[in-house]
Amino acid sequence: MERPLSPFMFPAWYRFQITSVLSILHRLTGIALAIGSILLAWWLVAVAAGGEVFAATHAFIASPIGVTLLLGWSVAFFYHLCSGIRHLAWDAGYGFDISTTYRSGYAVLAATIALTVLAWLYVWLAA
Amino acid sequence: MANTGSLPNATAERDQSILRRVRHLGSARNGSQEWRLQRRTALALIPLGLYFVASMLRLATSDHMSAAEWLASPVPALLTILFVLTVLAHAVVGLRSILVDYVHTRAWLVAAELAVRCAAVLLAGASVLAVLKIFLGR
Repeated sequence: MERPLSPFMFPAWYRFQITSVLSILHRLTGIALAIGSILLAWWLVAVAAGGEVFAATHAFIASPIGVTLLLGWSVAFFYHLCSGIRHLAWDAGYGFDISTTYRSGYAVLAATIALTVLAWLYVWLAA
Repeated sequence: MANTGSLPNATAERDQSILRRVRHLGSARNGSQEWRLQRRTALALIPLGLYFVASMLRLATSDHMSAAEWLASPVPALLTILFVLTVLAHAVVGLRSILVDYVHTRAWLVAAELAVRCAAVLLAGASVLAVLKIFLGR
């Protein structure tokens, strides 16, 4: 154990930077959204089934657990969207220098918070 | 055969053996195709995802329109089907790239990939059937 090698050495040997944290978050939110696609399919099937199935699904979504899941889903969605656009910019060859990478990273975090707050404010105010 | 061992020959031989190797192993076989699929679905998901989320926000705050009524119209039905299918294609490639990084046993990797693909096909089928039932039964 002489020098840090990779994030797998955390927390004792590895110093986090925003770049690696955002990269890990992109994967984690991707996994979360993939699991969320099960709920999406379930909701569509419930709408098609109608009646009691839809009522039960709707009650679950409106419950504290359901709202918490939706909140998590919306954060994961907006983060993965913004971070994904950052990745697409890299794929196109833009934004590789350190200062731009850090600035775009903070911009992704700010946009995620702004979009999530706006979406829930809209639901809260319009409902 | 006059093999002089000159640089071009040695290089060609080395490249050929590497090519033979990568054609049998790993994602080098169709890695760039998967890479492109990941980016294309990502691009498509920017408008599709925003449309779906905006629609969910509208539904959540609407008193007069139900989800079934929304999905009975052609544009929401079509875009929802496209959204679900694109999400699942994007998820399969993304989950595969994570599995390849962390699952180091060949058998487990094949099993996990198979499970992901089966789940994606099931979810795609169920979602499409559900939307079609609502749309055709309007």
